Amino acid sequence: MNGNYIAMAVALLGWVGLFFYLVRLDRRFRDGEHEG
Amino acid sequence: MEHTETMVERGRSAPSVLGSSGLSWWKWALLPAMGAMIFGSFHLSTPMRDQAAFEARHNDAFRIVYYHVPMAWVTVVAYFTSIWFGIRYLRTRKWQDDERAVTAAGLGTAFCVLATLSGSVFAKIAWGAYWNWDPRQVSIVMLLLIYASYFTLRGAVTTDSARGNLSAVYSLLAVFAVPFFVFIMPRMSPSLHPARMDMSAWPHKVVFLSSFLCFTVLFFWMLQLALRVHLARRARQREIV
Repeated sequence: MNGNYIAMAVALLGWVGLFFYLVRLDRRFRDGEHEG
Repeated sequence: MEHTETMVERGRSAPSVLGSSGLSWWKWALLPAMGAMIFGSFHLSTPMRDQAAFEARHNDAFRIVYYHVPMAWVTVVAYFTSIWFGIRYLRTRKWQDDERAVTAAGLGTAFCVLATLSGSVFAKIAWGAYWNWDPRQVSIVMLLLIYASYFTLRGAVTTDSARGNLSAVYSLLAVFAVPFFVFIMPRMSPSLHPARMDMSAWPHKVVFLSSFLCFTVLFFWMLQLALRVHLARRARQREIV
């Protein structure tokens, strides 16, 4: 069961990391920074 | 120059077909929804727990079904999105539609690779080998090969219009290939994959279906972002040319 908790923690952290990376990309392209 | 600016602007606004350009509520909703799905997928009993045919030590491996199957589903959604934009390109001949088709195909291939890898991990635990020549394993690799050919074809053609035309016509082939390899071929012969899973308990259904929903929303968000990048880059290339 401990393995499950570790796997869940890794999955949740990975998801939060991916989410905020996508948020950052979303804002960046909305603001037009990509043109710089 | 004015024409190019319009293209850059289109590059930004075109994906609004798939969602607003701002960070809308459905994107924020994805954070707790996917989090809850992950939590549920690790805390629920596994769908096959009570089946005597499956040894107890394999039960946890079945949790991968909450990720593997939705990723395969997103692959199909992405390929059909690509086909749809390919057909639209044949009607409109706009380079943006060609760019949308190839972007969706690229994301579909990424999800297809993830579905294949997650399936192989499960196959090793459940069936003893990463690769078993199971009909579903073979069919998903056939899909990967078909889209590898698609990208090879695109890479071999230098003219924009010829590349767009050939890709779109190739997409018409995929109209038949994708449903055949995903839905028909795996059912034509006996498979190691379970014919049906025990999803009778409502928590399993909720987590399983919410996983489908979360991955589908995630795909369309990723598609929107990838389109913004690709369309802007392509517009800039055309500006330089």
